[in-house]
Amino acid sequence: MSALAVVIFVGALAAIAFDWAHRTKIALGGAALMVLLGIIDQEHAVEAIDWPTLGLLAGMMIIVALSEPTGIFTYIALRATQLSRGNPIALVFLLAFVTGVLSAFLDNLTSILLVVPITLLIADLLRLPPIPLVLIQVLASNIGGTATLIGDPPNILIGSHRSELSFMDFIVNLAPVSIVTLGVVSGLLALVYRASLHVEPERAAEIARLDPARDLREAKNVKRTLAVLVGTIVAFFAHSAIGVEPAVVALVGATVMLFVASDDVDEALGRVQWSTLLFFVGLFVMVGGLVEQGVVSDVAERLATLTEGSPTAEGLVILWTAAAGSALVDNIPFTTAMIPVVDEIQGGEFDDGLWWALALGACFGGNATIIAAAANVAATGILDRTGNHVSFLRFLAVGLPMTLVSLVIATAYLVLFQF
Amino acid sequence: MPLRDVQLVDASVPETATVAEAAATLFAASVPALAVLDDGGRVAGIFAEEDVLKAVFPRYLAEVRHTAFLSDDTPSLDEQARSVRDRPVREFARPVETLRADDSQVHAAERFIHTGQDALPVVDGESFVGMLSIAALCHARLERAQER
Repeated sequence: MSALAVVIFVGALAAIAFDWAHRTKIALGGAALMVLLGIIDQEHAVEAIDWPTLGLLAGMMIIVALSEPTGIFTYIALRATQLSRGNPIALVFLLAFVTGVLSAFLDNLTSILLVVPITLLIADLLRLPPIPLVLIQVLASNIGGTATLIGDPPNILIGSHRSELSFMDFIVNLAPVSIVTLGVVSGLLALVYRASLHVEPERAAEIARLDPARDLREAKNVKRTLAVLVGTIVAFFAHSAIGVEPAVVALVGATVMLFVASDDVDEALGRVQWSTLLFFVGLFVMVGGLVEQGVVSDVAERLATLTEGSPTAEGLVILWTAAAGSALVDNIPFTTAMIPVVDEIQGGEFDDGLWWALALGACFGGNATIIAAAANVAATGILDRTGNHVSFLRFLAVGLPMTLVSLVIATAYLVLFQF
Repeated sequence: MPLRDVQLVDASVPETATVAEAAATLFAASVPALAVLDDGGRVAGIFAEEDVLKAVFPRYLAEVRHTAFLSDDTPSLDEQARSVRDRPVREFARPVETLRADDSQVHAAERFIHTGQDALPVVDGESFVGMLSIAALCHARLERAQER
């Protein structure tokens, strides 16, 4: 039965990686097979679903969907562009910084959906090739998202699973290494693309004349909506002190947002990406099947044998395994499967370093290939729709070297500061 | 009453026509879409108002939600319009289902609802007969109701 569980799970991962069907169909199909074949029974399947993760994701989807019509995100991206004064290197750093910060406090997929369309507009106005700018933003979104509990789905999964890890813990332990990595990767990308990024002075003057606040002034409920958005982010910082889980913060924030910024609840709830939530449900049940069949404890035992109980070796193996797994499939299912493995490895003792290793590996690994993170798929999809195709190899040529650089930085950080 | 008895508009362009020519024909016609015809006079696709909109303005507009800060004097807007005006309309035409001249009005109404199109080409065999718009279809129904 355990071999069957592995076949179903690995088959589902392969099907997701090769895009044989929509990932939600694959995850739900795999989960249904595991339940119908008795790999996991119905009661345990329901217990395996991590409801705080679903609550956090749904809450953030509603908050961002209702904030977006204010034009605040367009304003931020345009102001950053104006600050660059047409200097392409400054533009690269500013776009990377804005994307990284938005990703940290919204989530990387949402940030990409918000900022990439504006980047296409900016590239058009400045007559710059859009693909390098968007690729820089994709990498920045995955690195920036690493900095917080809500920034990237792997962190949401980890933070929702281990209540010992607060929002502030994520920031204290992951934000510094993320900022350093973002700076290094942005610098390298600016070097790589410097030849193709040249702005005519009259184009820069064109951008300087734009009034980025105009949409913001004309939108409805701007002050109230932004107050709820900022209030929710502040509440994330304080959730541990006030004894409230991050999922509750997101769901309460979403509820308040529905009161202040939505005239039509059905329309607002229609913006929730139900297919993403059901994708997570399918993954949780499949991983529950692996746990039930003892596959997870077998993997954990093998890893423990390999590392001979050394916490540093365990952390580095988790880091690089999570990165490789995320690059090959998708960092969401891979992290879902790795979480019970890390639980088993640490046994009764709680070691936060192993969780930071998992977060860094899965989030940074998300930059390696076009399929490694949902943000990559979303960004290249927008590029495709606007006539700018990015092939798997073109993404890999940028993503893989930058991932390796990021992992080297993460390795140094873990060895020096965590173990 | 079949569709051949409803007022159809002879609004079409050859697929080699330029975007500028097709846009001018569309502007002058009383339907929101043109049939794009191949060498043999068969319907190769349609070129509707939304297609000319997407051709003349930048493609990223479909992705962005906030553009009030942009001015009509923005150089890249003129460049986009210049870059498409002499290109053949077939590059921007879309395949679309056709209605037959002997189809019923209720069938046409059902297809309008489900295809989301505002006008569809009507054919007799392989020959293009004319464009049927929602307005023409509904006008014919209301006239019929009054006569009866």
